[in-house]
Amino acid sequence: MCTVKEFLNYEIFCGALFFKKKGIFMEFIGTLINGLSLGGVYAMIALGYTMVYGIAKLLNFAHGDIIMVGGYLLFVFVGIVNNSIIALLITAVLCAIFGIVMEKLAYKPLRGASPLAVLITAIGVSYLLQSLAQIIFGTQTKFVTLFQNLGVINIGSLVIQVSTLITLFSCIVIMAGLTLFIKFSKTGRAMIAVSEDRGASELMGINVNSIITITFAIGSFLAAAASFFYLLKNPQINPTLGSMPGIKAFTAAVIGGVGSIPGAMAGGVLLGIIEMFTAKVSFLTPYTEAIEFGILILILLVRPSGLLGKKRREKV
Amino acid sequence: MMEQDTVLQEKYHKSNKDKVKKFFKKHKPKKYINYVAIIICIVIFLISSGGMKRVTCTTLNEIAISILLAVSLGLVIGFLGELSLGHAGFMCIGAYIGGKVALLLQPYISSSFILLVIALIVGGVAAALAGVLIGLPALRLKGDYLAIVTLAFGEIVRSVFRNINFFGGVMGMDTKGIQYDVRKLFIIGFFLILIMLAVIQNIVYSKHGRAITAIRDSEIASKATGINVTRYKIFVFAISAFFAGLAGVIYAFCKNPTADAFSYNKSIEVLVMVVLGGMGNVNGSILSATLITFLNLKLPTWLPPNLAVLKNILYSLILIVIVIYNNAPKLKSFRDKYNFKNLMNKIFKPKDDASIIKNDANKWDRIPTKIEMNEVLSVDVNVEESTTTPDVDKGGR
Amino acid sequence: MLKKVLSVAVLLLVSVFSLCLTGCDKEKEDYLVIGGMGPLTGPAAVYGIAVHNSAKMAVEEINANGGLANGLKLKLEFLDDAHDATKVQGNYYDLLENKGMQVSLGCVTTKPCLEFKKLSVDDNLFFITPSASNDEVPAEKNGFQMCFADGKQGAYAANYVNDNYKNQTIGVFYKADDDYSKGIFDLFKTSVDTTVTLVETSFTGEGTDFSTQIATLKEAGVKFVFMPIYYTPASLFMSQAKDANAFANDVVFFGCDGFDGIESMDGFSLSSIPQEVSMLSHFDSSVTTGAAGTYIANYKEKYGADTLNQFGASAYDCIYALVKALNEIEAANPGTVTKDAKVADLGTLLEAKFKSADFTFTGVTGGGKPMTWDASGTVNKSALKFTLKEADAE
Repeated sequence: MCTVKEFLNYEIFCGALFFKKKGIFMEFIGTLINGLSLGGVYAMIALGYTMVYGIAKLLNFAHGDIIMVGGYLLFVFVGIVNNSIIALLITAVLCAIFGIVMEKLAYKPLRGASPLAVLITAIGVSYLLQSLAQIIFGTQTKFVTLFQNLGVINIGSLVIQVSTLITLFSCIVIMAGLTLFIKFSKTGRAMIAVSEDRGASELMGINVNSIITITFAIGSFLAAAASFFYLLKNPQINPTLGSMPGIKAFTAAVIGGVGSIPGAMAGGVLLGIIEMFTAKVSFLTPYTEAIEFGILILILLVRPSGLLGKKRREKV
Repeated sequence: MMEQDTVLQEKYHKSNKDKVKKFFKKHKPKKYINYVAIIICIVIFLISSGGMKRVTCTTLNEIAISILLAVSLGLVIGFLGELSLGHAGFMCIGAYIGGKVALLLQPYISSSFILLVIALIVGGVAAALAGVLIGLPALRLKGDYLAIVTLAFGEIVRSVFRNINFFGGVMGMDTKGIQYDVRKLFIIGFFLILIMLAVIQNIVYSKHGRAITAIRDSEIASKATGINVTRYKIFVFAISAFFAGLAGVIYAFCKNPTADAFSYNKSIEVLVMVVLGGMGNVNGSILSATLITFLNLKLPTWLPPNLAVLKNILYSLILIVIVIYNNAPKLKSFRDKYNFKNLMNKIFKPKDDASIIKNDANKWDRIPTKIEMNEVLSVDVNVEESTTTPDVDKGGR
Repeated sequence: MLKKVLSVAVLLLVSVFSLCLTGCDKEKEDYLVIGGMGPLTGPAAVYGIAVHNSAKMAVEEINANGGLANGLKLKLEFLDDAHDATKVQGNYYDLLENKGMQVSLGCVTTKPCLEFKKLSVDDNLFFITPSASNDEVPAEKNGFQMCFADGKQGAYAANYVNDNYKNQTIGVFYKADDDYSKGIFDLFKTSVDTTVTLVETSFTGEGTDFSTQIATLKEAGVKFVFMPIYYTPASLFMSQAKDANAFANDVVFFGCDGFDGIESMDGFSLSSIPQEVSMLSHFDSSVTTGAAGTYIANYKEKYGADTLNQFGASAYDCIYALVKALNEIEAANPGTVTKDAKVADLGTLLEAKFKSADFTFTGVTGGGKPMTWDASGTVNKSALKFTLKEADAE
């Protein structure tokens, strides 16, 4: 850890005068790109949280563990088919099915029960998945190589990993696709309707149960995709892989406003950038989580329903 | 004096059986039955404390800490109706502040008991102040948003204590110097439970308690009737945090507090105790805290080491099954037919018709309310619930 | 009313049950009980499982050969602590009072072992930990280590750097919130020569993206990166560095005993890293001859190669060292090592034995050379710079 003096000398003053020192400016851009790409991954996980919350009104604590399940599936299928793209497709489909099964077994019986009961069940499911993974795959960390040596791109003194750019680009494509799907497809609009008013949409002939099932499938699909990009950067799989990104994504979803899709994206990107910049400043590194959660509290104090969340008027 | 007279008069005129009935009716022994249980426990402990093994004492100490945490969290969740996921944060504050104060005062005070009392007061008050702090956002936030803020609060507290070298940093604070004899510490823990029960039950049965449950049932309506919502919310958070802080101090006096022990997993463990015990049910919280802590501590020592992972699977499966059984709307009729109460009625009172469900509005440990918890905790009113016939669920909340 | 009475009855029953259950004494069998605990579940389970397997294997071998010299058999009682220091207290008293532990292996990981140390000093329970390397672990009279203390590792590494990288800039990459990593780093920093310039980088928590740290080290142009971290983040660091083409092939990645297991990690191929990867260790898992070779072969046959690491080897040595010490004690004062021997008595005898100058032990760790213990309870044995992988040609 550097001293306060060093910190002031280097980080703040150089940051403020970065045009004078070109290297620092490039470093800033590099960190920003890294942050955006990590934020994209968080955003993808957060989308799963936010969609499930918006439509089924439940906080799916086990969502983070689907990332872990996806990680292990990727590990298995990369070994079998030896092509990470095909492995990703198989994993994403299996994860979507897995999400549906989870919803049917654990959450559907509780539809209409207290949200707290569902929350506790989700916690139970999360523990269950982690212990099952430990029994099936053991506790030793597995390493999965998705692509051999992607290399880097040099722009002046700026060095960016290709995997970072792939992640960033894919996240943008996936999120744009999801937005279009929700805005323009029939199912997507039905989802919006259900999240607005479940009773009214039921009266309009929307099958709420199947919409909830589809939501779980899409959320799990996104989690599988997120696990692919997460593993691209951090190719290690263990039974507790999903818990930290899960919590971060949950935070991102709340910062953006639970239930709001653009909000989840904004929240995820914000967290990713914060994390990358605190990693740069060794003085702040140990406090990364405290800073992230502190920002969450501040945002919620100013805007109680998140950055882009809808304000609900309470009926008496 | 008047009351005594009537009791005396009745003594002459009524039969023996009636007399007992009247006496119970007057003094509501049900209200005090958990005090009696705890006092009996303490007496047993005091008698046998010399000969007890340390393993038993530490188990009982853990149980005492869990009960303190569960009942105090139950006050926020069950009576105020707000979900808090940062209870371990208050415990963390209590453990670190209380422990540190005791360590600093240790050279000047020789009696470890006085040291403990000072630490309890300081740690409890520090945690209560943090409770006030977290009560402030509770004025603006609701439901899941408040839950995430409390979770964030707990994690911030943990992260800060983890990185301050004054409190021992990553390695945790070394409290070996002030650690209390494990053979006696748990008695103090149970004594604190007694105090907590007295405080919480007094609040719950006073006009303050009714105001708090009114806020739970409808914040807007209670505001309209002139209840100071701000004051009560902060008050409940502070009281709840105070007792969590006490639990933390007890913790610091039995082992070294390390920040990682107060992660959100701990908060969730306490939440699980509260929910399994029944929301707003003090006795239930005590019971489930005792059982869960006991199982958590003892299951790994019973199972062979290679099967240690089975404990987690067992734990999570039990959790899922119990919650689904207790809450699934479709299982309601099944639940009403085959439940613990009816089973007991069948065994002890064969004459009673098992299918008759008695009104539990007069139960001492539950605040009668017409509004179900799910409607209170959720932002939206549940649609599926309203399509079924509206009746008050008496089975399990 | 009925329910209230019942719930109170259950509450009382549970407390009485717990009293009774934990209070019932079983008839002690003809064993000397060795207690221990380690993470058998959770993220650090690979170490605990290795230690448990190896200790069990050693005990079975010894019992198959007739037990101690006086015919007394051994029994291993091992509990799960999930790398959680809060579980140690309950486990410790359970081992001591219910399972009849007389000597101990302590805990596998550092933080729980520090808690263990504090508890055991009151009972004067002798323990020799296979792998809890913090310098504070053997601080009390009853605690001993089979692994290097962090300070020693930091000092060994600093010596190596002083000899080979004088007047140069070297990089350090450590985990700021990890006791193990920070412990080694702190002592490395104090014992490293002033002519060596250090470029410090660190991470915390479940580090995922080390690109900023790699960039910092790259800018400094270091030829040597000291990484006192566990192999999981290390493998990640190396693969990210490889992808970023950050270092030339003549750069050396140098780790401590936490690197052990990197070569057998599922899915990670060490040979794909172009640079040299070395570690400071007391156990060479590639040998095929001697006691170490036999141990490795037996372990692989019994439990597979998955969990074979120096933690296990160290635990195996712990049991044999204990047996050697107990046999010598029994030979000197017959009748002291029995199934009913008191914990504190054994503690005093074993402490004296291990600290005496004439007690040496040769096992599977330490490169087959004899090891001794000094008065502070730390082990003196030869450290190897074990090259896991040679550098590729440019």
